[in-house]
Amino acid sequence: MILKLEARAGILQPYLLLVPALSILVGFLLFPLMWNIYISMHNVSLTTILGEWKYVGFKNFSNLLHDPDFHKSLQVSLLFVGGSVALQFFVGMVLAVVLNQHIWGSNAFLALIIIPWTVSAVITGFSFKFIFSDSFGVLNYVLEQMGLNPVAWLSDPEVVVWTLVIANMWHGTPFTVIFITAGLFSISPVVYEAARIDGATKIKSFFYITLPLLRPFIIINLILITMWSVNFFDLILVMTNGGPLFASTTSSLYMYRQAFEFGLLSKGAAVGFLLIGLNLVLAYSYIRLFGRQEKTVEIRQR
Amino acid sequence: MSNSNSLGDYPHVTKKESSTTTPHKYVFKDFKLIFIIALVSLVLIAPSMTPFTMVQAQQPKQVTLTAIVAEPKERWDSLFADALTKLRERHPDMKIDIDYRVLPYADTRKQILTAMAGRTPVDLISVDQIWLGEFAEGKFLSDLSNLTQSWNRSSEWFKTNWDGGIYNGKVYGIWAWTDVRAMWYWKDLLNQSGVSPDSLRTWNGYIEAAKKIENATKDKGVQAMHLVGASHSPDMWYPYLWMLGGEIVKQKSGHPQKGTYWFPAYNSTQGVKALEFLRDQVKAGIKPQINHFWGKEFADKKFALMLEGSWLLGHFPRNESKNFDKSVGMIPMFPVPKEGDTSATMMGGWMLSIPETSTNKALSWELLTIMLQPDVLAPMLANYAYLPTQKPIAEGTYSTQLNSTIPYYKELISMLAIGHSRPSIAEYPQLADNIRQAIDEVYLGTKEPKQALDDAAKKSAEVLGWS
Repeated sequence: MILKLEARAGILQPYLLLVPALSILVGFLLFPLMWNIYISMHNVSLTTILGEWKYVGFKNFSNLLHDPDFHKSLQVSLLFVGGSVALQFFVGMVLAVVLNQHIWGSNAFLALIIIPWTVSAVITGFSFKFIFSDSFGVLNYVLEQMGLNPVAWLSDPEVVVWTLVIANMWHGTPFTVIFITAGLFSISPVVYEAARIDGATKIKSFFYITLPLLRPFIIINLILITMWSVNFFDLILVMTNGGPLFASTTSSLYMYRQAFEFGLLSKGAAVGFLLIGLNLVLAYSYIRLFGRQEKTVEIRQR
Repeated sequence: MSNSNSLGDYPHVTKKESSTTTPHKYVFKDFKLIFIIALVSLVLIAPSMTPFTMVQAQQPKQVTLTAIVAEPKERWDSLFADALTKLRERHPDMKIDIDYRVLPYADTRKQILTAMAGRTPVDLISVDQIWLGEFAEGKFLSDLSNLTQSWNRSSEWFKTNWDGGIYNGKVYGIWAWTDVRAMWYWKDLLNQSGVSPDSLRTWNGYIEAAKKIENATKDKGVQAMHLVGASHSPDMWYPYLWMLGGEIVKQKSGHPQKGTYWFPAYNSTQGVKALEFLRDQVKAGIKPQINHFWGKEFADKKFALMLEGSWLLGHFPRNESKNFDKSVGMIPMFPVPKEGDTSATMMGGWMLSIPETSTNKALSWELLTIMLQPDVLAPMLANYAYLPTQKPIAEGTYSTQLNSTIPYYKELISMLAIGHSRPSIAEYPQLADNIRQAIDEVYLGTKEPKQALDDAAKKSAEVLGWS
């Protein structure tokens, strides 16, 4: 009898060990996701939250797809995410490679460079708001001292999104630096040594050794910074609150404003669900794109 | 191989130990251990339990009232402290405390809404007049109608201010104090520019003055006039709409669900004319400011003239208040289209309400009424340059005290007669956003005022359910 119980316990043990992790996953990920979908299919606002929730099916999604302000927010998101990811990745990669050359002070610089990433986005937002302020900003003051015309960094609809991209680049680039540096540490110096003996230049080593071996790190880094940029709104909220004229209202800020400024919880939930979809599509695209390249390389090698 | 350790890489655990100690024995041992710990704990705690309950029975009843209010904190510190002292005097049998959270304006509404939606017990909240409809519609506020009837003080309030706390015929909030927007200017800067303050009273005079001041002060790092270009820019457009006889919304019949309901009225000819005046200001070189520091920028002399609320006085040192009128001038109006027209202004301020989730409604109401007593409220108003909503403070002996401490108090009080308030309907935040968009479009020159307002009104009609 005891042996049977022991055997059963042995079978159940791995599942029991999974219970804590699964509970967290269900409680903090799956349930909120399902709840979000449930709300997006009902007509819930802050004024009706304590009353009856009317089922409306896909009406909130349909309204969104016909809402010009939401279309505009997608365009802004495209510019903001595209600009942020491109700049963060490029600058982060360059800095990581330079710091990996074991030049004097590189370790100290690596430790210092993490600071912008640890500063909260709200504080970053306030700092950049005062740097880029049209009337009282430091940047325009410097431009004027140099005899140049001041720029309406935060009030020109054509300029504002790029101002936000610069602020986000300052905030987010350290993550790429740290992540790519970790990837660079994982590449054995022996590989570079062998390439050097075979006559490879530093540039060739970078393109034919470093980049291919960093590919898994690059994919994960790109997925993460893209998702963060898609979901990022606190810095924008502080710096421009989406203005002027929705020129800096990204989809995530649009979601926030609908849900928490106007109390339209269902509409906000519907935007949230579409953003999850957008994140998944982008992540899948990266994996397909880089995965395919990897397969092409493998076939060529054969 | 037979002696190998079945527990993998843990050499300190031998096979003998693992085979002789079954899980059942572990469970039994654990149970005994827990039982012993529980017994010992009980023995240790039990002697202290009886005296504790006896002491507790002798102590006065502890009540902690909770409140969520909007910044600045100092005004609430003094108000709550004075009111709490009086409340404690009335209830010597109780030990009453107040736990109040002071939040930035932008966060207050969100925090209150999320607290109410989550049924968090809160006893008192500060409510901006434009939130009242939304909160009442969501059934977040207690109906104070019966309490105010027996209180019998409603007739002491200015009618506009008392009505501001009513939604669908029920009293949900008591307007505690108000503020008005007026025209403030630096006397020396206007003198240097050769601008007479009287010329600022009309639209044309205002725009001509802007050009003159700009020319005279541009090399000093001073801008001529302040024009709000932030999220609340509609607040500075409404006075022009009102002075022309326009309205933000009006009642209309034929609503698909509600029969008679609010309909956007701000795209009227009056609205267009009012927005044209803002456009003309931009054309004259006045830059819309996306950062608004609520009068700090004027106190720092970054602007020669500013249309700002009476709270602007709070940015000046208190000891300078006696000589304040020597350096800063005030005109109690917004510019009007032509000489002789009646001006208008917008009234703000705060209401006090009791949430539906309050667990101490009677005591909260008592606290609220004490806070509104002239002897408690008037010193705070004098300290922070707020305007009274009740006649005993505005007209009685307290007014002398306020007049001696608040510069231009009489002029500010005179503006209450031309004061208007924004509609306290649930959809107001979305309507204000539509209007803000129209103003931005005109500022940026992408649309003409009529087109911008018509487009905004179309959106507002949809928000109000007219589609």
